[in-house]
Amino acid sequence: MNGEFSILAASWLGPEGYGNDLTGLRDWPTSLAEQLQRGDLNGLHWSLLSDSDPSRFLRMDLMCRLGFMAVELLDAGFDTMSDVRREHTGVCIESFTGSLDTDIRFALTPRPSIFTYTLPSTVIGEICIRFRLKGPVLSLVPTAPGGGDGPAEAIDWLQRGEAENVLCLSIEAMNRSTANSLPLPPELSAAGWHAAALLLGPEENPSRAQPLTAGPLADIAASRVRAPCRNALAISNRQKIQCG
Amino acid sequence: MATALKQFSVALAGKGVLTAAGLGLSPLQRAVAANTGNLQRRDCLIGKTLQSVIGGFVADEITAQLRAADPANRASRPFLFAAAAAEQAVADSGRILGAIPAARRGFVLSTTKANIDVFDQLAAGQPVPLAAQRQIQPAFLATDLAVRFDCRGPLQCVSAACVSGLLALQQGAACIRRGRADAVLVVGVDVISNFVLSGFNTLKSLDPEGCRPFDLGRVGLSLGEGAAAIVLVRRELAPAPRLLLTGCGTSNDANHLTGPSRDGAGLALAIRRALAASCAAPEDIDYLNAHGTGTPYNDNMEALAFRTVFGDHIPPFSGTKGITGHTLGGAGVIETTLCAATLESRLLPGTPRLRERDPVAPESLLETARPAAKLKRILKVNCGFGGTNAALIIEREQP
Repeated sequence: MNGEFSILAASWLGPEGYGNDLTGLRDWPTSLAEQLQRGDLNGLHWSLLSDSDPSRFLRMDLMCRLGFMAVELLDAGFDTMSDVRREHTGVCIESFTGSLDTDIRFALTPRPSIFTYTLPSTVIGEICIRFRLKGPVLSLVPTAPGGGDGPAEAIDWLQRGEAENVLCLSIEAMNRSTANSLPLPPELSAAGWHAAALLLGPEENPSRAQPLTAGPLADIAASRVRAPCRNALAISNRQKIQCG
Repeated sequence: MATALKQFSVALAGKGVLTAAGLGLSPLQRAVAANTGNLQRRDCLIGKTLQSVIGGFVADEITAQLRAADPANRASRPFLFAAAAAEQAVADSGRILGAIPAARRGFVLSTTKANIDVFDQLAAGQPVPLAAQRQIQPAFLATDLAVRFDCRGPLQCVSAACVSGLLALQQGAACIRRGRADAVLVVGVDVISNFVLSGFNTLKSLDPEGCRPFDLGRVGLSLGEGAAAIVLVRRELAPAPRLLLTGCGTSNDANHLTGPSRDGAGLALAIRRALAASCAAPEDIDYLNAHGTGTPYNDNMEALAFRTVFGDHIPPFSGTKGITGHTLGGAGVIETTLCAATLESRLLPGTPRLRERDPVAPESLLETARPAAKLKRILKVNCGFGGTNAALIIEREQP
């Protein structure tokens, strides 16, 4: 799709498992797999992916948790990025279901801690706070789950020099129990769940970078994760993306 | 700078608006000229309790008038409001939009909560038409509006808290710049609902006396409802004298989810990006329309951001939410519509409901409306939950 810019890292988590373009798709722990496959997401926990402090994660709604986990899964070296690079890293999110799961929870139990999360763009704030990203931002609602224009918007930012890297996410976050609590339009109640992330930018590490193909973001990320880099083991953890 | 390319060179060819001031641009401009706030007190359900609230409500008679044009009572309030504003914008664009094939007409919607009213209606066991139920999903609302206005080109829906409107205008302009459309109808809409009132009430963000942006005694915001629509077209398609959208900048504070950064650095960054995108310098800005919610933190933060970018030469600026209330996803398009009207009328809006200027606010704050000696370029800014900031520049093209 664009020879100048590439997928620098990809991650995906959904009913089938989780992983990135280095590790490939991993199975959920047996104790969780069945409930995640049927859309019961209450068991998703930070400790599945990280041993770092989960306190912030525990405050988040489902959409933010999924987005946070997808970015953590990317293993893209954000922690070692220079401040200048962070200021020029954009975030573009797409979500068909948006914050609806949290909206329903807030309507049932109006609490300020829940209201904060009743916007699909809140996850951008969580990610930017976590990684101190200050670049351009965009939050789109596509007409179907899986994403639409996000990668094209990211490429436009990169081509115009408005960002050096762009983190693109597609998140669908509908807990089965929440979806069943209101007579929602069928497209929403059947939207399922996933979180997919792509880091796009100029190719810096040919061993991991992949061309950006056309299609919904979630499909692109899922295909990268299902067909991981063949020489992944040769890539040392902190050299995956040169930062700063 | 003269040879640099601006981010956009897209003309604003039509505009329409529905706010607490009334239906159309004229009542809004009258409110600006008189510097009158249009906030009203109403009894509203907040959760399950009826409470007295001050807000920028669309008048009941206007809603009834719009409902009368929908005898089947199938449309949601956001659809009715958005369609009313869009009809005006299309009419205001004259023959320009009609001359463009439908496949080359794009549509972008800005909203935060779309038809969130449906929660209460379903909970109360009211029958809700399927179309209105579906409009709880913002992209479905966008699709229905695009169909209504025969925009069969690119469709986007932006939901990014209070910066949604400016981002929607950015997206519409980008769509034209990339050659995906010759015209884009950009609409911003949100309604006052039990859901949103409950939310801001739980956050204790509402001013019980009504918002007073940049006032020493301000304690919070007032919600508003309404819609605005702007027809963007390729520059060459609009007759001179043109109003142009030249650039937009966004940023994230990376600081706090609901509160602005205390130093205004994020908003300053967005403003600088908009200036760079428009090939403009700070001194080129002749008027600045602030976000000006009336919350103590927001207005302080904005004042700091303005000082950071403009130093001691902050252009005349004002906050106009005393007229409209804070219309959330509608705000960016409504306030940009007001800015476009300002470029035409050359009457700079004041800050309605201001009693005593907070010394924190720069002295160039306009307390009342006043004619502009020089007015070529306007900067519009908004900030939102999640630490998002957006700045947009429109200008009157010089002959």
